[in-house]
Amino acid sequence: MKMERAIVVDRLVKNFEVTEKEKGLRGSIKSIFSPKKKTVHALRGISFTIQPGELVGFIGPNGAGKTTTLKTLSGLLYPTSGFVQVLEYDPWDKKSDFLKQISLVMGQKNQLWWDLPAIETFEFNREIYEIPKRDYEKNLEELITLLDVGNLLKTQVRRLSLGQRMRMELVAALLHKPKVLFLDEPTIGLDLIGQQKIREFIYEYNHKNNATIILTSHNMDDLINLARRVIVIGEGRILFDGALEELTGRFAKAKIIKVSFSKEVDIKTIEEIGTVKQVSFPEVTLSVPRSAVAVAAAEILQNFPVNDLTIEEVPVEEIIKKVFRGELTRHE
Amino acid sequence: MNKYLQIFKLSFQQEFAYRLNFIMWRVRNILQIILTFFLWSSVFKNPQTEVFGYNQEKILTYVFGILILRAIVFSARAVDVAGEISNGAISNFLLKPVSYFKYWATRDVASKVLNLSFSVIEITLLFLILKPNLFLQTNLVVLFAVFISLILAVVLFFCLLFITNMSAFWMPENGWAAQFLFIVIITDFLSGGVFPLDIMPLVLQKVLYSTPFPYLLFFPLQIYLGKIAGLEIIRGLITSFAWVFILLMILKFTWAKGLRRYSAEGR
Repeated sequence: MKMERAIVVDRLVKNFEVTEKEKGLRGSIKSIFSPKKKTVHALRGISFTIQPGELVGFIGPNGAGKTTTLKTLSGLLYPTSGFVQVLEYDPWDKKSDFLKQISLVMGQKNQLWWDLPAIETFEFNREIYEIPKRDYEKNLEELITLLDVGNLLKTQVRRLSLGQRMRMELVAALLHKPKVLFLDEPTIGLDLIGQQKIREFIYEYNHKNNATIILTSHNMDDLINLARRVIVIGEGRILFDGALEELTGRFAKAKIIKVSFSKEVDIKTIEEIGTVKQVSFPEVTLSVPRSAVAVAAAEILQNFPVNDLTIEEVPVEEIIKKVFRGELTRHE
Repeated sequence: MNKYLQIFKLSFQQEFAYRLNFIMWRVRNILQIILTFFLWSSVFKNPQTEVFGYNQEKILTYVFGILILRAIVFSARAVDVAGEISNGAISNFLLKPVSYFKYWATRDVASKVLNLSFSVIEITLLFLILKPNLFLQTNLVVLFAVFISLILAVVLFFCLLFITNMSAFWMPENGWAAQFLFIVIITDFLSGGVFPLDIMPLVLQKVLYSTPFPYLLFFPLQIYLGKIAGLEIIRGLITSFAWVFILLMILKFTWAKGLRRYSAEGR
């Protein structure tokens, strides 16, 4: 029977208890005797499902709960309440058969043995995941070619650059060909070429293996180039779940009007119609509230000498930027 | 079981990656032994002197015995568990199809093999230099009892160390201090690493014998030295075994509780 859903999350809640410490030595001493406990609500009941083979982007500001979700899905964190299922397993049980089918890769963190060359970690993983020798050799060959790290296998991990290390991390995480892959900020700290390499690789891996991938990133290019579907999280809640293009319609309260004038016009009179974003005569860009866009366009066409006029959506980049700044809240 | 063989090999390589650390640790051991050796040989200047049932030969065997027993029982890598919990490195293992306990047990064995082989070399050297009179146990039954008590001691120490380290689930920043106090000072002292426990008042000895500590170093050595026999050995082995059972239960319980609290920070 074919699995219908790779990942099911239903009303997932995760709270952390943290001890607060006041600053300075006095604060430290005080916190030993009367620790101040505080509950942090990392996830306040999120629900979603993901089909096998989907590549989903998680976006949201820092502390929104993206990483907490990934850690819960991979069995590291125990849910405070709610239901989680990945490949029909409960991640918390940490069954071998489950762990052999998933991988969690986190940006700046490493699973590679720091003091040894990366090949040692690969060999180690081969034993741990019980990968047959033949598959291992095939997978390793494929991965190092795709990621272009063949000549670095015998270099001590501590001597690798960040980009090289990240690629090695990916090799280590994918040797066992996981069906579900959680990527937390895979391009963080990498230069543009490095980012591009990783992106191409993720795309390939997703397509070749029909792998289910959840990706969190602060990098807009990652999302625009890779993710069809995005889930926006803010303060532990899901604010949006759908196609990347729809994100604009949901969140942009304004549309963009681009006008090309045939004669010079008085900017002041245009400013009464909408917010002027950019002026480089003869072109002017305006931002107009969604509901008023038709009226505004008509008004411009009637009262000004117009060569050309287009109405556009706010670019996805702008929306994502706002998401990361935490400026977007749920609007019903 | 290939998994754990691989871990064993990697542990060895890791130990060698920190050669200086390892050498310093061995130097510390040698200095400690030389210190205790001269202390006791000056106390027992006259070979006929006997204090608390120890003559010069037996006290020196005790000192050398402690050196070997420490290498077997106390050399353990699981001291790093607290650090892995508080910096989040433990996540790497929780994500993989591998038992975290078996992982550390394997690393412990690797560490013990390495330390023990060095101990044997050091002891041979010290023996040739200091030329002490040592007591040799030849009774095979006694030696077998020593062997059993040693296995129990190794498991006991593993449990104690692991449980102490797991406090990091609740107090991520206190891991190191707690360990230092517990392992280096209290355990070594209470298990007879500093001086033979039977020079203490009888009441204290009785109390100590109901704790797991004497079974780490003192008890196996007492059997070897022939200071206890028959029923006493059996009673000791049973108590030791009971402690293994109790500590394994506590270990399992603490692990389950700790994992639920684990917040996978840092990584």
